[in-house]
Amino acid sequence: MKQVLALAYKDWRLSVDTPVVYVAAAAFMLVSGFVFGSGLFLGGQAELRTFLGWLPLLWMFFLPALAMRALAEERRQGTFEVLATLPVGSGQIVAGKFMAIMWQVLLLLLLTLAYPLSLAVLASIDAGQALAAFTGALLLGASYAALCLFASSLTANAVVAYIIGFSLILSFVLLDKGARLMSPDIQTWLQVLSPSQHYESMLRGVLTPEDVVFFLCFSMVFLMASNYQLERRRWI
Amino acid sequence: MIEATGLTRYFHGHAVVRDLSFSVRRGEVLGLLGPNGAGKSTTMRMLTGFLPPSSGAARVAGIDLDGDTIELRRRIGYLPENAPSYHELDVATYLRFIGRMHAMSPELLTGRMSEMASLCGLKPVMHRPIGELSKGFKQRVGLAACMLHDPDCLIMDEPASGLDPNQIVEMRTLIRRLAENKAVLLSSHILSEVEASCDRVLIMDDGRQIAAGTVNELSSRYEGAQSIHVSIKGDHAAVLAKLGEILPKAEIEVDADEAGASFVIKAEEGGAALDEAVFRAVVEAGAVMIDLRHERLSLEAVFKRLTSGERT
Repeated sequence: MKQVLALAYKDWRLSVDTPVVYVAAAAFMLVSGFVFGSGLFLGGQAELRTFLGWLPLLWMFFLPALAMRALAEERRQGTFEVLATLPVGSGQIVAGKFMAIMWQVLLLLLLTLAYPLSLAVLASIDAGQALAAFTGALLLGASYAALCLFASSLTANAVVAYIIGFSLILSFVLLDKGARLMSPDIQTWLQVLSPSQHYESMLRGVLTPEDVVFFLCFSMVFLMASNYQLERRRWI
Repeated sequence: MIEATGLTRYFHGHAVVRDLSFSVRRGEVLGLLGPNGAGKSTTMRMLTGFLPPSSGAARVAGIDLDGDTIELRRRIGYLPENAPSYHELDVATYLRFIGRMHAMSPELLTGRMSEMASLCGLKPVMHRPIGELSKGFKQRVGLAACMLHDPDCLIMDEPASGLDPNQIVEMRTLIRRLAENKAVLLSSHILSEVEASCDRVLIMDDGRQIAAGTVNELSSRYEGAQSIHVSIKGDHAAVLAKLGEILPKAEIEVDADEAGASFVIKAEEGGAALDEAVFRAVVEAGAVMIDLRHERLSLEAVFKRLTSGERT
């Protein structure tokens, strides 16, 4: 575990020593602030749902940016060879990388806490609903972070990793939209696989074990796929 | 300390390393020599556990390659080619990261970092980003990182690449000092470097071992006819006549002037007998010998001969 933390801290230092995380945080706050502000001032609705409803879309653009360098850059710079010959398994490497991305996701979510806090001044907010929705946002972020980490394990080019990550998230979003055109049976199955569908229910303030388990399983599948990818690369 | 037996590795059906066997003892430096694409880096990557061999076996620091590779990586220090590191991090943060990955305690790590900084001359740059350092310093950072946990075996891929002549001499001294109680395997393109810092050399071409031994052994094994250079003062014609008499089969070249002459004598059988015969010829001809030296085939010539197909 110490090694996982050391690796996550190293990645965190790399991201705070480069402009990526600041640019991402500034852009994220700008866009999310606009969404939140437009709901509040133009729509006249003092509620979080407008902003949180847009969050899957924001994650789709921002998470590939936060995760694209994670493994791709290590391979491009040749540092992966250093990393892979340190006394850690590829599972620990994946865990450390994932943890570092999640710290950045948490940072972005912490920044957006300004919205419920400012709403609390204007009106009373449903703390339970806000908690469920933010938990959903974090779990959705974790799922997409694992997906984008997997994208980063596929290539040595960070831009290509971004495009793959973005496309994978988009395909899961389209899965949800496309399901609505299908017959009810298929629709149910496809929607079970859609992270945004599970997020929708958490957004309404319903925190069910099924949704939490879905997000954890979704993340685990892509973390294991990243691990598999690291192992496979040794053989080709 | 390092024992490889029949190491073989295929990439996409093509053999990059074929049936390679060698060993390195503690206190010894083995140099891997070979043209680009000879399989040196792949060999090193296999020994670090980074690449699994397609066949064959190896035991590094007492651990089998197909055994606990995490434990193996704990006992080796590996410097990949071009010493890759994180350019945005400063040297101290990078070394601390490497130490933590080796699960070193904070006290031990601080002590070792200071030791490595002195040994590798990194003290003035400890708090500078690695990306801002010169190639020589980056190489030293890589070296400090691979020795930080005091491993039993050091595996270094082209440790002297990109260094200036002064830095190469420093690196050579450092490697010799390290080798006192470790097994060191290094690869290099700089033949004089290998000649100066390695106890033994293994020459590879097209994934195969084509020669192995000490530099002296390789030179004498592949030089063929023995050559000696002799300079004399006196009558060179008389010396030439005596040489022809005593060494009838030798091939003799003369470069004479009024004061004396130099001879290059190539004979099938060398050694002390040849020296003695030459010395006797000069004395009997009434001349004075000024110089007698053996021409040794340089490692460069052995390398060129072996890797260009003109094997003897």
